[in-house]
Amino acid sequence: MSQPIDNLEEAVARLHVASKSSSAYESGPRKVVGKSAERLDAVEKATGETKYGQDLFDKKFLFAKVLRAAHPHAEILRIDTREAKKLPGVVAVITHSDVTGTNMHGLIRRDQEVLCSRKVRYLGDALAVVVAKTEEIAIEALGRIKVDYKPLPNILTMEDALKPDAPKIHTEGNVLGEKHLRRGDAPAAMREADVVVEDIIQTQTVDHAFLDLEAGRARYDGKMLTIEVAGQWLHEERRLIALAIGLPLEQLRLIQPATGGAFGGREDISIQIYLSLAALKLKGKTICLRYSRSESMVARHKRHPMRVHYKLGAKKDGTLVAAQVTFYVDKGAYASTGIAAMRKASSHATGPYKVPNVWADVIGVFTNNNPCGAMRGFGAVQTAIAYEGLMDRLAVKLGMDKAELRMKNLIHSGDAVTTGQIVPNATGVECFEAVLKKIDWKNRSYETAAPHLKRGYGVSVICFGLGYGDGFPDASRARCKLTADGMVEVYSSGIDVGQGLINMIAQIVAEEVGVPLERVRPILADTQLTPESGSTSATRQTYFTGSAVQLAASELKKQLQDIAAAHLEELVYEIKIDNGEAYNVFRPERRLTLRELAREGKRRGFSLEAMGVYKPPTVPEDTATGQSMRAFVTYLFGSHACQVLVDTETGEVKVERYIACHDVGKAINPDQVIGQIQGGVTQGIGMVLMEEVVMKDGKIMNPGFTDYILPTIRDVPEIECIVLENPDPGGPFGARGVGEPPLIACGPAVMSAIQDAIGKPIRILPATPERVWRTISEK
Amino acid sequence: MFYQPNVIEEALGLKAELKDGGTFIAGGTDVVVLMNHGKAAPENFIDLTHIPELRAIHRHDGALELAGNVTYAQAGKLPVRCLALASLSVGGPGIRELGTLAGNLASASPAGDGSTALLALDAEVELTSVRGARRLPLDKFFLAYRKTALAVDEMITKITVPTTYRSDWSKNGKRGAMNISIVAAAVAITPKKETRIALASVAATPIRCYKAEKFLTENGLNAGTIRQAAEIVRTEIRPITDHRASADYKVHLSGVMVRRLLENLVKA
Repeated sequence: MSQPIDNLEEAVARLHVASKSSSAYESGPRKVVGKSAERLDAVEKATGETKYGQDLFDKKFLFAKVLRAAHPHAEILRIDTREAKKLPGVVAVITHSDVTGTNMHGLIRRDQEVLCSRKVRYLGDALAVVVAKTEEIAIEALGRIKVDYKPLPNILTMEDALKPDAPKIHTEGNVLGEKHLRRGDAPAAMREADVVVEDIIQTQTVDHAFLDLEAGRARYDGKMLTIEVAGQWLHEERRLIALAIGLPLEQLRLIQPATGGAFGGREDISIQIYLSLAALKLKGKTICLRYSRSESMVARHKRHPMRVHYKLGAKKDGTLVAAQVTFYVDKGAYASTGIAAMRKASSHATGPYKVPNVWADVIGVFTNNNPCGAMRGFGAVQTAIAYEGLMDRLAVKLGMDKAELRMKNLIHSGDAVTTGQIVPNATGVECFEAVLKKIDWKNRSYETAAPHLKRGYGVSVICFGLGYGDGFPDASRARCKLTADGMVEVYSSGIDVGQGLINMIAQIVAEEVGVPLERVRPILADTQLTPESGSTSATRQTYFTGSAVQLAASELKKQLQDIAAAHLEELVYEIKIDNGEAYNVFRPERRLTLRELAREGKRRGFSLEAMGVYKPPTVPEDTATGQSMRAFVTYLFGSHACQVLVDTETGEVKVERYIACHDVGKAINPDQVIGQIQGGVTQGIGMVLMEEVVMKDGKIMNPGFTDYILPTIRDVPEIECIVLENPDPGGPFGARGVGEPPLIACGPAVMSAIQDAIGKPIRILPATPERVWRTISEK
Repeated sequence: MFYQPNVIEEALGLKAELKDGGTFIAGGTDVVVLMNHGKAAPENFIDLTHIPELRAIHRHDGALELAGNVTYAQAGKLPVRCLALASLSVGGPGIRELGTLAGNLASASPAGDGSTALLALDAEVELTSVRGARRLPLDKFFLAYRKTALAVDEMITKITVPTTYRSDWSKNGKRGAMNISIVAAAVAITPKKETRIALASVAATPIRCYKAEKFLTENGLNAGTIRQAAEIVRTEIRPITDHRASADYKVHLSGVMVRRLLENLVKA
């Protein structure tokens, strides 16, 4: 099945390889890439030296606190800060009237006021920032701010929001937008299908629950406003802050402190603008601000709850013919990155399966709940639970083995996904075969110790488009430099939120230039020093920033080869750099160390610095049909299998065994890849079995870890990881990425196993013991 | 002020003298949480961790005497099955090193894990003040939601539990550890073959299920009576629907848990 586009893709991909690495034609074992080198930040993290946001505080600094809305939906009539200002120790109280910029922010659409002036739309909306000598005083002052509201009806469900006479949360109405996908004629094909299954699946609101709460500091010295707060894309945050506060970009410097987790939860602006406003007002002072766990949960965006109406049609032999899907997406109060997550849902509507006729519609609806935005998996998590759930229902209806049904319909290399994009390297089948073999699918046993205990087996296969996609500018940049002391410095704004980006970058540079890992010094995430590298999201850092780093390193190496050739009076193409020394491969006795290269390069006026930019293009979707010949730069495939034991009397689910296989292209650092897989699966088990933000009247009823239940070590079995390495032509050393897929594939696998055990699907997440029991009890 | 007395008398003296009554603090695993949530702001603390005798465990004839500052970690090692299991289910190791059984009783959480075990064991508490000491069976100790028989000047100085009961305990939550229970249940059989059943998270306080107990004591323990007793338990409790679970699930769960615990106890 070779089509012209296929050849074009391959040609483009080959071009990337040829241009990216100076050692593309060298064979032989890698020295640094592919090794589980110890993390460069391990010792200082383990010994507590690492400085996270809160570690930047000092008693001599000023402390800020934020006043939140008292109603989920209300007009603001008056904000009176006089009493708060009178409190001894209070230095400033800032409201919307003090903001000299647009006072607006939002990642895709600027629809959220930093400090609300006329209206609040959820309980996390901010009205004022108090700055005081201590945090305690700031908290006390918050209580002295008087706000008069005119409460409006709270709109808490999508049904209420979509009623024709519903009060409008935003002036343009309660619909954020829609996404559509039209491939073939799904209704006609559905009519002709031999078997049709249909269901509604409701996913829940999920919190990122990273450990390192929002905290940081800012200072304005009259020339430069420096903000040290953990984000996920410093340069975009800088643009948003500049607009909101009305300060030129070049007067803003963002520095990322060490960061303990993000999972998409740091994509939206958190405390950066509050801190900036305070610092701007109090020139020369350092302002600190941190959230408590409950404030973090109340203020921050969440994973979108989605209600997915899914209809799937097949022939008698299990061949899929049509899918019709409607996603209702609770956006909460603001747009955030919702429209992109909605597109991710539509573009992944049938996952890794070949379905000739697909119609999908996604509608995003505003409510007065927490805004929803990015979270690991980004719209593909909910979608995978839906399509895999329907595959299970279809298998039951057909009386077919669910593994066989999947295998029959998986796309192969050269097939297209829902968007029409041909995937040249589709490895879903390989991943699936690997997990089925490992769990010994054919010989699975349903024997248990007691009649009330039922065993079940679940499988899932997923694909995931990497990067922003759909023509959105997506680029990473990096700079490599040889210093006088013989260190290779690498500069990038890629952000390590704990996933291991530091090692990924350093190992690529070491491998590419030909130096030991300890000769590489990564300098990351400081807008004054490091070039823009996009966000740590969309599973893109290894692929994009890894590539940019490899390009820069490769360029630097070529320059160093020039220097060595000139000094040694040898032919440049005979110069090899290995283990930190340059020499002629045929006369290895004459050598130059890195330090000598630096000195020689400087003496001769040769450049010791190189830049790499990686910006592979994608193609915008046709908005009517959602089709795009290259919606994403590449696709990731993964497959999971698990075994659960359900106590049918109490509804408790125990995950007894878990196997996860991902094709990562190339594991730059295998231990880190396995860490990502295990972390993703753990987060997936949490989402499917227990995690849920419980909202009542717009209020979060469980804003803390006492009642927002995260999995413990008792809830997660050993996760058996299988790492496949089918090189990707566009990634560094063939690497793709692994951030999101392990979480995406986990939910459907566990749901599949529960259905297998109890003989019924769970339609509402999470599958808490109560919900499982209720499903079993239903007639 | 943060007082650190070294003997019980000094602690009781402070408790009687201080205008606001002072707040006893041992592990702080309840009161510090309340403070963090802005639900308590005591002015005066009386720290009990510097009173060695409050850590003591004495063994008498067929009974253990646990002083007021005995921690979950200590209780987790005791040869009293339901109490050990309940204690080991509380929080993680760090919490168990700090949190105390008496503290759990005094805060009278409806979800108290230790409370269920102690109720099923017919535990007695010794309440002491400068006025003297008195003993109270634990089932007379819990009065209402987070209300106990403790007078403002009193301290729980001892908890007495028999070692002669056969017992078992379990709890149900959304995950495998570190749960606030959806339901916690303790059962015990006394040397006179009387049955005890106690539950947490199903009423305003941890409770005994007297009707079910009476039924079993009168009719003996077998597969049939156990099933009937579990049905009685379901009618004896008054759980509420909250964000942890619905009332009818808690009722259902209570029946299942009590039945299973008693079945295991009969088998063993």
